[in-house]
Amino acid sequence: MTNFAMWSRLKSPWVIHFNSGACNGCDIEIVALLTPKYDVERFGIKLEPSPRHADVLLVTGSVTHQCAERLKRIYDQMPQPKFVVAIGACACSGGVFQGNYNVLGGVDKVLPVNAYIPGCPPRPEAIIDGVVKLLNALKAPPAPKTVKEPEIVVEKMEEVKPDAKQ
Amino acid sequence: MIDYLLLLFRVLVFPGFTFIVLFTMFCDWVERKFEARMQNRMGPSFTGPSGILQPIADFIKLLTKEEITPCESKRNVYRFAPILAFSVLVFALCFLPVDGNSIIPGVSFAGDLIFVMALVSVANFLLFLAGWSSSNPYSAVGAARVLTQFLGYDIPLVLLALAPAFLAKSLTIATIVSSQWLPFAILAPWAFVLFIITMQAELEKDPFDVPHAESEVVGGHETEYSGGKLAFLKLARDVQIVFGAALITVLFLGGANGPVPFGFLPQFWGTLWFVLKVLGMVIVSEYITVLFARLRIDQVVRANWRIILPLSVLSLILTISLAYWVFPLV
Amino acid sequence: MPNSNIDIVKILESKLSGKSVQILPGQLGTATIKVAPGDHRDVFRALVEADEYTAISAISGLDLGANLGVYYHVRTSNAFLTIEVEVPKNNPKIQTVNDIAPSAAFHELEVSDLFGLIVEGNPRSGHFVLPETWPEGIFPLRKDVNASEVKQNPPLPEEKSDEGKLVKIIIGPQHPALLEPEKFAVLVEGEIVKAVQPRIGYVHRGVEKASESRTYIQDVYLVERICGICNSCHATGFVEAVERILKTEVPPRGKYLRTIILEVNRIHSHLLTLGHAGLEIGYETLFQYFWRDREPIMDLQEMLTGNRVISSSLTVGGVRRDLKETDVPKIRSVLADLRKRLPFYTEIYQNEPSIRARMQNVGTLKREDALKLGVVGPVARASGVDIDIRKDDPYEAYAEIPFNEITKTAGDTWARMNVRMDEVEESIKIIEYALDHMPTGAYRIKVPRVVPAGEAISRVEAPRGELFYYVKSNGTTMPERVKVRTPTFANIPAFLTTAIGETIADIPPNFVSLDPCFSCTDR
Repeated sequence: MTNFAMWSRLKSPWVIHFNSGACNGCDIEIVALLTPKYDVERFGIKLEPSPRHADVLLVTGSVTHQCAERLKRIYDQMPQPKFVVAIGACACSGGVFQGNYNVLGGVDKVLPVNAYIPGCPPRPEAIIDGVVKLLNALKAPPAPKTVKEPEIVVEKMEEVKPDAKQ
Repeated sequence: MIDYLLLLFRVLVFPGFTFIVLFTMFCDWVERKFEARMQNRMGPSFTGPSGILQPIADFIKLLTKEEITPCESKRNVYRFAPILAFSVLVFALCFLPVDGNSIIPGVSFAGDLIFVMALVSVANFLLFLAGWSSSNPYSAVGAARVLTQFLGYDIPLVLLALAPAFLAKSLTIATIVSSQWLPFAILAPWAFVLFIITMQAELEKDPFDVPHAESEVVGGHETEYSGGKLAFLKLARDVQIVFGAALITVLFLGGANGPVPFGFLPQFWGTLWFVLKVLGMVIVSEYITVLFARLRIDQVVRANWRIILPLSVLSLILTISLAYWVFPLV
Repeated sequence: MPNSNIDIVKILESKLSGKSVQILPGQLGTATIKVAPGDHRDVFRALVEADEYTAISAISGLDLGANLGVYYHVRTSNAFLTIEVEVPKNNPKIQTVNDIAPSAAFHELEVSDLFGLIVEGNPRSGHFVLPETWPEGIFPLRKDVNASEVKQNPPLPEEKSDEGKLVKIIIGPQHPALLEPEKFAVLVEGEIVKAVQPRIGYVHRGVEKASESRTYIQDVYLVERICGICNSCHATGFVEAVERILKTEVPPRGKYLRTIILEVNRIHSHLLTLGHAGLEIGYETLFQYFWRDREPIMDLQEMLTGNRVISSSLTVGGVRRDLKETDVPKIRSVLADLRKRLPFYTEIYQNEPSIRARMQNVGTLKREDALKLGVVGPVARASGVDIDIRKDDPYEAYAEIPFNEITKTAGDTWARMNVRMDEVEESIKIIEYALDHMPTGAYRIKVPRVVPAGEAISRVEAPRGELFYYVKSNGTTMPERVKVRTPTFANIPAFLTTAIGETIADIPPNFVSLDPCFSCTDR
C-alpha cells in the first residue's frame, strides 16, 4: 500500500447511509452534515446513492429482523476496502429497544464495525469527530512492538554415541 | 527525429492527453467549489491547498478499489464501455485547436466539425451501452434516459453548430476559429444562447439532469460500476463537460484568439486565452445547473421538440440570411 | 374545523334501536358504543351515511383474557366515537368494514398480524408489520406470548415473480430518496406506474409490547423514540392519555410551555420536509438554503429542552424544565429572522417555474378520496378537508390561542407543500402569542407512580397529521396496553392511489409531499 494510495483513500471517503430500523433522529443529523452549517464535503465526504460506489457504510438503528438480511446484502455489495460506522446508541447496542422482539440489538450482531459513535442522537459535530477519528486510526502505522526478544540459551547437547551393542 | 519527439510530447503531454486530464480535474474542482459557494457552503477544502487535489484523490481512490463485475452483465461490453467512452471523447478533443493548431497537428480536414459532433454521439452511445450491459433495472432505466435525451438534443445541437459554419463559410473548425475577427457570440447571439442551453441538455446537467436523477434511478447508468471502471466513467463525464465548453469556445468565442502582448510566445498566450474561455463557459454551465430543479423526462422531450428544435431552425435561417445578404454589404 | 351540527349520538340511537347496542356517552371520546360482532357493520353503515367526514382513526386490539377486544376509533366531523367489539380468542373471526369505510384496510391487517384476528373479507397474505422470518401462528401482542424468545425462521429467498410485460422497480429499503427503509415495488410499463405494492415493517421495533414492561415514566422516553422528528408529539399524546386516566390537570404554565415546544417541533419538521422536497426534485440549492435556516430552530430546541432532536422535556404532570426569562429575547429574535426569510421561500414555491413544472398536478388527491381514505394532516388540508386536531379537539393551550387553519383545494403535491409553508408562519404566530401571554406559576405537578385502573385516548396534531394514543392501565406501575396510531400509517394508502397513472419520475415528489415517516408507521 503506497503512501499515495493511502492518502487518496483518506482524503476521499465516500459514504452510503442505511437506516436499519431507527427513529430518524440520527438520520436527520447525518443529512444535516451536508448542509452549510456542518458541510462535510470539505473533507471530501460525498453521500453516494449506490453501494457499489461507497467506501464507508453509515448504519443507524437497532437492526430489526427484517432489515438484518438487507443490511448484510448491502455490505456485501460494497467493494473492498470498506468500513462500517455505527451511529447512535441504537446502532451501538440497541438503545432503548434492547430486548424487544423484533430487534437484534446493534450493528455488530450482523457486521464488523470499525467505529461506534454513541448518542441519542449524536450531534453532527460528534459524527464528524467519529469519522475523522476513524480516518486517523487508519492513517497511524501499527504500534511498534515493545516486547523484548526472549534470550535464547543454547545448551550444548551431549553427543550421543551410537550404541556399540547391536 | 526531433519532430517525432515533439509530436509525442504534443500529443501525450501538452496540450495533449496529460494536459486534458489535468485540466478536466481542475474544471471538476472549479465546478464543485462554485456549486458549494452558491449553496452557502465551502466545498472541498483540505485536500491540497483549498481542496484543489480533491478530484485527483477521488480518481486514485477509485482506482485502488476492488472491481466487482455482476455475473449477469454482458461482460465485454461492461468492461470496455467506460474506457472506450473516455477515449473517444479525448480523441474528439484532439481535433479542437487549443493553441492555434489542433492537438494532433495537421489533422484538420474539411468537414471535421461534423466528424467531431459524430464522435460525441458515439461517446454518448457508449455511455448508454455501459448502463444497458449492467443488468440492473436502475441502470436500464438510466441508460434509456441517456439515449432519449442525447438523440433528441443532437439535432438542434448540430443545427445550431451550423450557424458559425455559415458565418465562416466553412465546416472546418480551424477555419471557423481563424475567421472570428469578432467572436460569433456577438454576431449571432441568438445561436450562442440557444447553443448553451442545448449543450446543457447534451451534457445532462440540471435542469436536464434526468439520467443522473439520484432519487429516481439511484446511480443511473453508473449504478453497478465500481473501482477503476467507475473512475473512467466519471472521468468520461467530466471530459464531456470540458468538451462541451471547449466546443462553445471554439465555435462562438474565437477559440485561442486573443491579444498577444508584444507578439511574443503566441502559443502560450493562445492556450491561456483558450483555457480562460473554457473556464468561463464551465462556470456559466454550472451556474445554470445550480439555479434550476430537474425536469421530468417527458418535459425534457417536450421542451426539445416543441421549443428548442423550432428555435434552432429559426436561428439557422436568421444566420444564413445574415451571412449571405447583410454581411457582404457591410 | 368542519362546521357541522350533526348530533351523531342521536342519529345512532335512532338508527340502531333494534340491535343489541349499548351507547355510553362520555367514555373514550364523545361516546363508546358496545356492539356484538356482526352488528358492527350496521353501526358503520349508519355513521357513513350520516356524516361524510367519517373515517377510522385507529383500530386497537386488546387481549382481554378469554376474548380479543377490537376497538374501532372513528372520527366524524364533530365527534370521536369508540366502537367496542369482542371476539372469543379461540375463534377470532370478524367481518371486515373495509367495503363500508375504506380507511380500515391497513388497520385491520395490523391487528390481524399482531393479535391473530381473522378478518373475513380482508385476508392477510404473509406478514404485514412483522418480519418475514417471524413464524406463523405466534402473535406477539397477546399477553401469553413471550415475544422476545420467539425463534425466527431462516430468511426467505428472493421470490421471482412474473408480471408479464410490466417491469418491477423496487424502491427501498436502501434508496437515496428514502431516509428510512420500506419497500415499495412499483410495477411500470415504460415509464407509467401501473401499481404500487408496499411492504412495511422494516422499522417495527415492538414499541407497543415493550411499553407494557416499563413504568409510565420510562415509557415517556420509549415512546418519544418512536420518531425523532415528531418526538414531542408522541410524548404529548402519551402523557395526555395518562393524565386523563389520573384525572389530573396540568398547570397553565406547563400547558403553554408544552405548546411552545410542540410548535417549535412543527416548524423544524416543516422546514425539513420543504427542504427535502427540493432534494427529491433535483433542486439541491433549495435544500441547502432551507436546512441552513433550520439550524437556528434546532438551536432553539436545544435552548428550550436541552437536546437538538429528542427533547425529553415532557413528563406526566407538566414539563421538566422551566423557561428562563433571559431566553425569551433570543427566541423572539430567531423567530423574527425566520419570519423575514419566509417571503423569499414562499416566492420560490409559488413562482419558480421548475418547481411548478415538477409539482403542480402531480399526485392529485380529490376531496372525496381524501375523505373516504381517512387521510390526515397537511395531506388532507391540501385537498380541502379541513381537519386539524388543534381546532377540532383542542388540547394543551390551543383553545386559548388564535390562529388560522390553512386549507387549499387543489390537492396536488404543490398544494401540500404550500400548506406546510403557510403553517410555518402560523406556528410563529402561536409561539409569539404564547410568549406574550405566558401564565406564571408552577409548570409541573407531582403525580403518583401507581396509576389507577382506567383507559383514555388522546389525539395530537403532529406535523404530519393526527396522532392517536390509547392507554389502558390496570392499577400497577406499568400500563396494560398502549396503542399508537401515527399519521403516516393513515396516509400511505393515499399514496398507493395517487401514484397510479403517473410516471416514475413523479414518485419522489409525490412521496415526499406525504411527508412519510416510517419509523412512526412501524413503531
